[in-house]
Amino acid sequence: MEAATARLGRGGRRKKEKSYGSEERRLATLLLSPAMAVIVLVAAYPIGYAVWLSLTEYSLREPGKWRFAGFDNYTEAFGSTEFWDAVKNTFIFTGISVTLELVIGLGMALAMHSAFKGRGLLRTVVLVPWAVLTVVSAITWRTLFEPNLGLAPTVLDKIGIAGNVVWLGQEGYAMAVMILADVWKTAPFMALLLLAGLQVIPDDVYDAAKVDGATTWQRFQRITLPLLVPAILVALIFRTLDALRIFDLPFVLTGGTNGTSTLSLIAQQELTTNNLIGYGSALSVLTFVVVMAVSFIYIRTVGGNIRSLAED
Amino acid sequence: MKTPRFLAVITATAMLAIAGCGSDDDDDGGAPNAEKATQAKASGNVTWCIGKDTTGAFGTVVDNFNKANPNANVKLLELPENADDQRRLQIQRLRAKNTECDVLGADVIWVPEYVGQGWVKDVSDFISKNGDKFIPSTVDTTEVDGKNYAVPFNTNAGFIYYRTDQVSEAPKDWETLYKEAAKDDGVVYQGFRYEGLTVNFLELVYSAGGSVVSDDGKQATADSQEVKDVLKFMADGIKNGAVPKAVTTYKEEESRRAFESGNATFMRNWPYAYALGKESKLADKFDIATFPGFAGNEGAGVIGGYNLAISAFSKNPEGALAFIEFTTTPEQQKIMATDASLPPVIASVYDDPAVKKAMPFAEDLRTAVEQAKPRPVSPVYPQITAAIYDNVYAALQGDMSPDEAASKMNDEIQKAIETF
Repeated sequence: MEAATARLGRGGRRKKEKSYGSEERRLATLLLSPAMAVIVLVAAYPIGYAVWLSLTEYSLREPGKWRFAGFDNYTEAFGSTEFWDAVKNTFIFTGISVTLELVIGLGMALAMHSAFKGRGLLRTVVLVPWAVLTVVSAITWRTLFEPNLGLAPTVLDKIGIAGNVVWLGQEGYAMAVMILADVWKTAPFMALLLLAGLQVIPDDVYDAAKVDGATTWQRFQRITLPLLVPAILVALIFRTLDALRIFDLPFVLTGGTNGTSTLSLIAQQELTTNNLIGYGSALSVLTFVVVMAVSFIYIRTVGGNIRSLAED
Repeated sequence: MKTPRFLAVITATAMLAIAGCGSDDDDDGGAPNAEKATQAKASGNVTWCIGKDTTGAFGTVVDNFNKANPNANVKLLELPENADDQRRLQIQRLRAKNTECDVLGADVIWVPEYVGQGWVKDVSDFISKNGDKFIPSTVDTTEVDGKNYAVPFNTNAGFIYYRTDQVSEAPKDWETLYKEAAKDDGVVYQGFRYEGLTVNFLELVYSAGGSVVSDDGKQATADSQEVKDVLKFMADGIKNGAVPKAVTTYKEEESRRAFESGNATFMRNWPYAYALGKESKLADKFDIATFPGFAGNEGAGVIGGYNLAISAFSKNPEGALAFIEFTTTPEQQKIMATDASLPPVIASVYDDPAVKKAMPFAEDLRTAVEQAKPRPVSPVYPQITAAIYDNVYAALQGDMSPDEAASKMNDEIQKAIETF
């Protein structure tokens, strides 16, 4: 979102910038430099160090052994089924969960936007799942789906659905629980972002449409949706980037078993459990690259969209 | 503002006074009081880094030691409750050659890894002098390449829990156990993909007379008939209903809950589940037994527990060793058994009435510990165990045939050994 608004802001102010004197520019650089130094220290250095580590063969299993390995770690990753499984699982998880969150979140936002008694209370209540720590909610979901004893299998068994399924122990079902847990937790967040978008649409537009005889569906389709696009895209960026880095849910729910291993999870396992610093860093860098690539694509399309909308 | 400075002055004065006393003792404490000298042989500061002292038993032992050794001061540094976090924090310190920890409380499976990195001191002399008083299987966990690098501190071994209202006695072999389980409500164990599955699998392999790594730790031996038989036995158990499919999601607590809620006839679990079971609705409907045999062999378990090792970076190894020796005396072992339910490493302690009261299964537990064997002793144990639980899990899920799983396990273990 920051990037998007920054782009918008710059677009508007571009002409003025040119009139700034060189002295003022120098002052700006000077004033910004402490912040830049901090960013370099806390962000650029660790990222750079991780990239460097990923090019080495370095493992805590063998003390003293260190070797520059070039792209060996990357070749190994691309050649392993573990990596491609994680890529596949990460994208399946991201695609399905973010889509569901968008649809459900939009529904929630529309409901919260309409005027009714107790709206303030509802808005607060809806946000509760989002306020719960992911690890805590993951443990709750794991308990809910515990075979035989958990609430979910017991209820499903009573109504005769999936009675024999070990939810967290079977491929497909485990992913379904993981997506469910994520949607439950983050749909409210999506709703909140979309609600903010809804609130900036002026009422006059709707009044005018009503006067012209537009139905509720037409008003939604022709007014609400198009004017909500910037908010939707910003919400999508947020959720997609988060989902691509998903770690806590598979870590707690399944430990990456049964088709739920994700990129962040395998990177963590190689780094901390297996002590393979070089290879683990390579997996982290690959995760970073995937996230960067997706955000780049988003920013491009979002930036373009928002600008074209603003010009309209 | 005033109070802290005042306190600081007091503390400083007290420390000077203590230091003064210490040197006084050194000066005149030699000849006249020999008895006092042997009791108070330890000196200096020692820091003991071990998992969280949830019951206060570790603190009691430290206090007892400090009282008996006025010249020494042992400090307890509590690490987190979770074993993986304890290991991570110890490794962080050791990698940095940190001198903070003198005595390390290490899970029995961490010792070979620490030895491989040169992080712990050789205590072979101590073991060769005092080794006889320990249960032999506990000493096995401290040995790497014929030398000892740690002292047993507490131990553990699994049990078979069985429903006395469903079966009259504990089955004599695993085959009968699975057959009876298939007829009744099944057997639950720790089948999730983690360390616990390695333990459950090795208990069967050891009971079958097999192994996964040669005794010297240099060769993978998992591609054997015993391992294939055990994998087939476990996979078939799930297929024919002796074992519920749900075990692939079970760790200790999940299996305990399944057993206590009456959903299983048998359970493999650690002794901790006994006391909790006695508080459940199954209180008078279950009993425990040591592991049954397999394929005509005698039953065997896998040994757990913690050892104490001296950090290679300790500035006071003598003091550290004196403290370790103190923790293995029957009195202190008894405190840990009664206060913290930590099974003693000294055989005689199990006969103590107070210990028997705290652990009604004490006698069975001693037998279980005596018949238990260590997990593969290797500096690359973390990779070996991953090779084991990954492939056993795949066999349980039916993703791989038992034979495939055995040979893949063997390859991965061999690869792990060779990388070191």
